[in-house]
Amino acid sequence: MFALEFPSIDNLVKWPEYLFEGTFAGFNKISLILVLAMLIPTVLFLLAKRDLVPRGIQNIVESIVEFVENQIIMAAIGPEGMKYLPLLLSIFLFVFFGNIFEVIPTFQMPANARMANPLILAVVVWVTFIGAGIKAQGFGGFMKSSLVPPGTPAALLPLMMLIEFISTFLLRPFGLAVRLFANMLAGHILLVTFGVLCITLWTLSPLVVVLPFSFGMLVALTGFEMMVAFLQAFIFALLAAVYINLSIHAH
Amino acid sequence: MSLLLIIAAEGPAKEADNPILPVVPELFWSALTFAAFFLLIKFVLLPPVKRTMDLRAEAIRSDLDAAEAAKASASSAAGDVDDQLAGARAEAAAVIDAARSEAETERQSILAQANAEVAKMKELAEADLAAARSQAMDQVRPKVAELATSAASKAMDRTIDVEAARPIVDSYLSNSN
Amino acid sequence: MSALASTASQVIELAQEFTPAEAKANAGASSAGFAYGLAAIGPGIGIGYLVGQAVQAMARQPEAAGQVQTTMFLGIAFTEALALIGFVVFILLKFA
Repeated sequence: MFALEFPSIDNLVKWPEYLFEGTFAGFNKISLILVLAMLIPTVLFLLAKRDLVPRGIQNIVESIVEFVENQIIMAAIGPEGMKYLPLLLSIFLFVFFGNIFEVIPTFQMPANARMANPLILAVVVWVTFIGAGIKAQGFGGFMKSSLVPPGTPAALLPLMMLIEFISTFLLRPFGLAVRLFANMLAGHILLVTFGVLCITLWTLSPLVVVLPFSFGMLVALTGFEMMVAFLQAFIFALLAAVYINLSIHAH
Repeated sequence: MSLLLIIAAEGPAKEADNPILPVVPELFWSALTFAAFFLLIKFVLLPPVKRTMDLRAEAIRSDLDAAEAAKASASSAAGDVDDQLAGARAEAAAVIDAARSEAETERQSILAQANAEVAKMKELAEADLAAARSQAMDQVRPKVAELATSAASKAMDRTIDVEAARPIVDSYLSNSN
Repeated sequence: MSALASTASQVIELAQEFTPAEAKANAGASSAGFAYGLAAIGPGIGIGYLVGQAVQAMARQPEAAGQVQTTMFLGIAFTEALALIGFVVFILLKFA
């Protein structure tokens, strides 16, 4: 049709390993992005001064901490959730900086468009909310409150327990991981599609008139993906907080 | 349609890896970096920032308290000024009252003095009058006695001793007086 | 009409040349788009309704806007998950 050569999915998300090739610790672009996603916030936090009147980087860092405190912890758990601040803050920052590399030139790849990182984070959240529930209500109490919905008839109990078990202990972490993974992969494929379209139009002289529209769309989608990168980090941390809240408060 | 099918048929020769499944090296690096990041945040990076924020909240709270205290002391000082003003006003009123009552007593005393003087003058005048009257009476009395005795002797055709009749005349006069 | 018939015969010829694995890949590739398109209908309606109601709630009670917004994002996340599972099915059909 356009002689459009869309790259195969392996070319979009699989990267060659730079170091330790072939071992369990093969270091590729995803690993590099993850290391950067760890280092950038660390450097930001270390550069922040300790003034009573915040300025510059300190302002950014404190806004992030306050955002996590007010918009995630206070909104989903309440004041007793403040002890989960380090976990939720690190999840938020790690997901956000893993995502934002989607639009940073020369990287152009969200680390969370591979299943590994979302899966690890979802498992961390899974362990945390189960641990919080067992700590708050005891093992039996937690199992009862999460598996037996109030007001279930005795005849339906086995079925309801099965459904609740699947939805609480299997679908929650799966949904968390897949939500983040699929959003970032979809955004990545969308940007790649418009990028490929722009390149193809540039080489085809009669169709070059529609190139500005295609390129404008690419720019607009880049902005949109920045918003998605932030929103997905926010939603991941917010859902983690909601799950912790559901575990520590028996319904 | 055939073109599409041909393109699809010409797809990757080797079986592509499932893009959904995670691969071991990425799992390893993800777990390693996230664990390191979480520990850094929890023990190294977050506490000083949190401490600064708490300090600031504390400072703001203490500033607010100080402002509240300053406001309270200012309002109490204003109350003191009001009290002083009221005291001064009361003092002035007392002074005015005292002056007024003093003036009143002065007036009363002057009035009383004048009244007393008037009364004394009146008394003196009355005494003068009484003295003049008794003097006139004393001058008149012998003549009256004489006249009365002469009139009586004429009426009775006998001589009455004036000296004997005098007490009668005197008592009469003093009675009529 | 004859063009269509010739295309059909071409397709049949091609299909006869395919190994079973290739035929499966082709079927997957041509159904992948349908899978995602169908999966996007429900969540599309759902998210539209959800955000509309949230805007209405925020317009009625602007002081509760923060709470409504947080709940709205949560609802979007749960609704969107269905479309995203459709997207994962698309990826699986197309590339796996």
